[in-house]
Amino acid sequence: MKDQLDALRLEIERDVKAAKSLEDLEVIEVKYLGRKGELTSMLKGLANVTAEERPVLGALANQIKQDGLDLIAARREDLASSKYSALAETERVDVTEPGARPPEGHLHIMTHTIREITSIFEKIGFYRTRYPEIDWDWYAFEALNMPPEHPARDDWETFFMDAPISKKGKMVMTPHTSNGQIHELQRHNFPIRMIDIGKCYRRQVDATHTPMFHQFEGLFVDKGVNITHLRGILDYFAEQFFGPGRVSRIRPHHFRFTEPSFEVDISCGICGGTGIGADKKKCKVCKRGWLEIGGAGMVHPNVLKACGVDPKKYTGFAFGWGVERVAMMKEGAKVDDIRILYQNDVRFLKQF
Amino acid sequence: MNLLVSYDWLKEYVSLNVKPEDFAARISLSGPSVEKMFPQGEELDKIIVGEVLKIEQHPKADKLKLVNVNVGRLGRTTRDENLSLVCGGTNLYEGQKVAVALVGAKVRWHGQGDLIELQPAEIRGIKSEGMICAASEIGLGEAFPHQESEILDLGKELQGSFQPHLGKGGQGGIVPGTPLANVLGLSGDVVMDIEVTSNRPDAMGMVGLAREASAILKKPMKWKELALKKTSHVARPASHVDGGLSVKIDAKKACSRYIGVRMQGVKVGRSPWWLKRRLLSAGIRPINNLVDITNYVMLETGQPMHVFDTKKLLTPPLKGGRGGFPSIHVRFARANEKIQALDGKTYQLDDKILVIADAERPIAVAGVMGGEETGADEQTTDIVLEAATFDPVIVRKGSRKLNLQSDSQLRFEKGLSQMAPTSAMARAIELVTKLAGGNVVGAPSDVQTEKYKPMTYSVTTDEVTGLIGVEVKKSEMIDVLKRLGFGIKVTGKTIKATVPWWRDHDIEMGRDLVEEIARVIGYAQIPSVVPVGVAPRPTDAILQWEDRLKDATSAVGYTEVFSWSFISEDLLRKAGYDPKNLLHVQNPLSSDWAVMRPSLIPGMLQAVADNQEREKDLRLFECSNVYLRTTYNVPRTTSAQDVGSGTWDGLPDEVPEMMAVIRDADDNEPWRKAKGFVEYLLDTYGITDVHWKRVSQDPSWHPGRSAQAFKNDKPLAIIGEIAPQLTEKFKIKGKVGAALINLREFVEFAKTSKTYTPSLPFPEAKRDLALVVDRNVDYRDLELAITRADERIIKVEWFDTYAGMGIADNKKSVAMHLTIGSREKTLESAEVDGVLENALLACKEKFGATVRG
Repeated sequence: MKDQLDALRLEIERDVKAAKSLEDLEVIEVKYLGRKGELTSMLKGLANVTAEERPVLGALANQIKQDGLDLIAARREDLASSKYSALAETERVDVTEPGARPPEGHLHIMTHTIREITSIFEKIGFYRTRYPEIDWDWYAFEALNMPPEHPARDDWETFFMDAPISKKGKMVMTPHTSNGQIHELQRHNFPIRMIDIGKCYRRQVDATHTPMFHQFEGLFVDKGVNITHLRGILDYFAEQFFGPGRVSRIRPHHFRFTEPSFEVDISCGICGGTGIGADKKKCKVCKRGWLEIGGAGMVHPNVLKACGVDPKKYTGFAFGWGVERVAMMKEGAKVDDIRILYQNDVRFLKQF
Repeated sequence: MNLLVSYDWLKEYVSLNVKPEDFAARISLSGPSVEKMFPQGEELDKIIVGEVLKIEQHPKADKLKLVNVNVGRLGRTTRDENLSLVCGGTNLYEGQKVAVALVGAKVRWHGQGDLIELQPAEIRGIKSEGMICAASEIGLGEAFPHQESEILDLGKELQGSFQPHLGKGGQGGIVPGTPLANVLGLSGDVVMDIEVTSNRPDAMGMVGLAREASAILKKPMKWKELALKKTSHVARPASHVDGGLSVKIDAKKACSRYIGVRMQGVKVGRSPWWLKRRLLSAGIRPINNLVDITNYVMLETGQPMHVFDTKKLLTPPLKGGRGGFPSIHVRFARANEKIQALDGKTYQLDDKILVIADAERPIAVAGVMGGEETGADEQTTDIVLEAATFDPVIVRKGSRKLNLQSDSQLRFEKGLSQMAPTSAMARAIELVTKLAGGNVVGAPSDVQTEKYKPMTYSVTTDEVTGLIGVEVKKSEMIDVLKRLGFGIKVTGKTIKATVPWWRDHDIEMGRDLVEEIARVIGYAQIPSVVPVGVAPRPTDAILQWEDRLKDATSAVGYTEVFSWSFISEDLLRKAGYDPKNLLHVQNPLSSDWAVMRPSLIPGMLQAVADNQEREKDLRLFECSNVYLRTTYNVPRTTSAQDVGSGTWDGLPDEVPEMMAVIRDADDNEPWRKAKGFVEYLLDTYGITDVHWKRVSQDPSWHPGRSAQAFKNDKPLAIIGEIAPQLTEKFKIKGKVGAALINLREFVEFAKTSKTYTPSLPFPEAKRDLALVVDRNVDYRDLELAITRADERIIKVEWFDTYAGMGIADNKKSVAMHLTIGSREKTLESAEVDGVLENALLACKEKFGATVRG
């Protein structure tokens, strides 16, 4: 009987090894180890063996059953994992085909830029405002210390509305956001740390000008504000907006509503402010290492006076720059003609 | 204004021993900004002086010669070399000094086309390793005008140019082999493109720039102001000069000074090279010595000048033995007067335009341009030189009105000092005498209508330090101001500064002195300090909500556009507006940008039309202001095109709107997506209890497929399809779904905080219900009736409406998902059926509904 049991063990081992599927294993288990399987029927023969042999053979039969189950379990695991490994072939797709994308919308490059500017200034306590795009001459020019005969007040440079003249002068399409300075100053709510962003209009169209554009106007007025603070803000903006290592500088310039007035430059990101490109020739991007960003200055005493603010008590600075300009100045933007911003071509819009 | 400034020339006025690069870097930080630099003479590389030794006929061509030219010591040879060159020049002679372009030089054949590199050539069988150049072939055509096929005769052209760079006495310096750029004095020079701000016309000349350089770089001036001799200050010149000149200023406010000087016996001719070279470096074309001198003086001093031919002036008739000599009147033009200006065009004048007139007619538009008829030409011998001060505004307006610009006008319109004409006139007389001969007749007629008084302003050292933000020594402040030419008086902390005449227009108050001190010291010396420590203030609600709505909208597939605030009448008409009721631009750039938009619809439809071929499923949005009458009932609840009428007395109301459009070629009911979009926004921002009303009276919207959303009677939005009449006019194929949101009303109810409603604790049952009702029963009413029929109906969701086959005429089948449940227990199937029965009963009662079989 012992021989029979040993033979059965070998048979089980052989069949389990040969099993091709989980179903095969199922059959093997039933055939050898099931309730009516071969091992069970063989154990019926135990009745015919001696009392001494019986426990030995019983233990052997149990051992064979246990080993058989273990073998089957191990083999089952093998077969299961090989079923998943076949997925690579059975359910193969071409993964270089494009994905199914969710509906995609895009914000305009102006919105992106305005948000970036806003968040940079909000971090240092500025608050965003928006003042009229169409305003009276008094706010757009007169209170900004621009005399009646100033060229900007010619209908050559500025748009006027076909509307009756009021006590505050003609109705003007603001050529800058600087009228925001007047509205904000008139509130007398100090300290003023305004970042005013809005649409402006000028009679000019070419690769760098559109008749409608956006400006962001910074105004900082408090007791004891001086040029060092302006320089601080400019350097802060240069680094935050254009990237680490970028710095600003100021040069003399002239605007009616600031004194002193400055032209603000940002160091060139391409040549690192050296003015010399990688090819050892003049940098193609900048002027001698610097890029002009726009104007700034210390608020003119006459502007403060016009708004009922005492220039002996309060001083401040202001700057007003083109949103389009800074967006286009950003490295990698590669937008070289401003007019495309307002052509509403989805092929352009969907790239931002 | 930008000026072209030769560094070499600038050094005649101020001692500068710094390299052009260093000069440019330093001056840009404290004064006028150097934007570009152009090294001179580079384009004349490999062009040298040659001397014609022998001229022979070309054996095979009548018009060509074989010319033997001494070209000096080429390369490293120790002897002069000769070249045999083929040349067609008609003015060749032996001993002539010519410009020889060697192989490799850049030339322009016959002065036309692109520059090309010269190669060895064989001309009619004869080899020629170089070329004798005409001036126009090497970019000097304007400097040395010539007949066609005349070559550049250096000896003749450079005669009289006794300049140091020519070596031993002019001509003697024109040695064969010398690079042409050296002979012309161009080598080593750099022309700088300098931006001078509009408040500094004093720096729009060499002397003014030299003053800036002197103050900023602490270098001494070389230039000395010339005085005008024998000046008469009498306003009645007739009494003091016989045969001289009478000057009378009628328009006293428009002309504060006029100096007229008569010179006789002048000889008109070409200017010497040294003078031409200066004009050319500044981008001015030489004409003749007299005109060149007036331009030269303007470039030097910033004071424009003019020259008249005295013989062409009409003189007043003799009266009692007096008069009869030329007279100058400064007056406004009379109606119907005309002038032919030096540009050859005739201009119609009016009483706002200031002119210089002789006894009868205008001879110049004051400060802008002289007249053709009275200008100096080859025959001129008797001249009147003009140096005057005109009102900047009158000059500017006249120039704009006539659309006539000039270098003179560009300077006058920025405001020149009344003190400038004297030294300019003295310099002009000096140059005319030297280059054209002649004598001044009588005394200069110098008429001033205002007495000049220099201004004085004060500033305290505390004000200076306070504004700059760092301590500046008083002595340094004083030193800077003195270097700039201010007269200084100090009392304690107060510095009193008298403005030099050349700054009398731009220095207007004490604050200006702070700028002068700060800039000359250098802004780079001022440290950079970020101001900190202010509590931020909340941002305006509309601005915040614009951002949220833009995010929510772009997040679901819409792309943002920015359309023009001003649009064309044509676009407005296409969109159904009557432009006459809207706010117009008085001076539009073009008719495309003429009227302030009252709605985002026209621009948006244009954007859809422009993009319809580019994308099948086009979704766009814009969030911007529109411009409406403040007095008008805004927002509009009846019709968008009803915008009121009459004049625009007050500023327009700049009303923020958001519009989203969807145009899908395959979607025949895009209104549904538009409505779904607004429902999504309402849900996202917690706006509940919104009532929808059908819109049928607004011509912008489809009368059967539009609705307006109200909350507490305030209109939040309109959704629907754009009226086909509009989309057809815009040539849009297919239907356009649109949503227009009134931001102010939306923001009033929108919130970002949410309220949580717990889900039912027991499983809910889902059942579908399809009811057949009359076609004009609104779904909303069905939904309400069902919801109210049984409190266990949690939710009703529409999913289909069907009419047609299998449904009676005038009927429709509306299919819905119902969610049924209870807070107390899990409902049995029979209970759910009971609820459904209640819903059906309610609909039967109200609408005669039947269940679709």
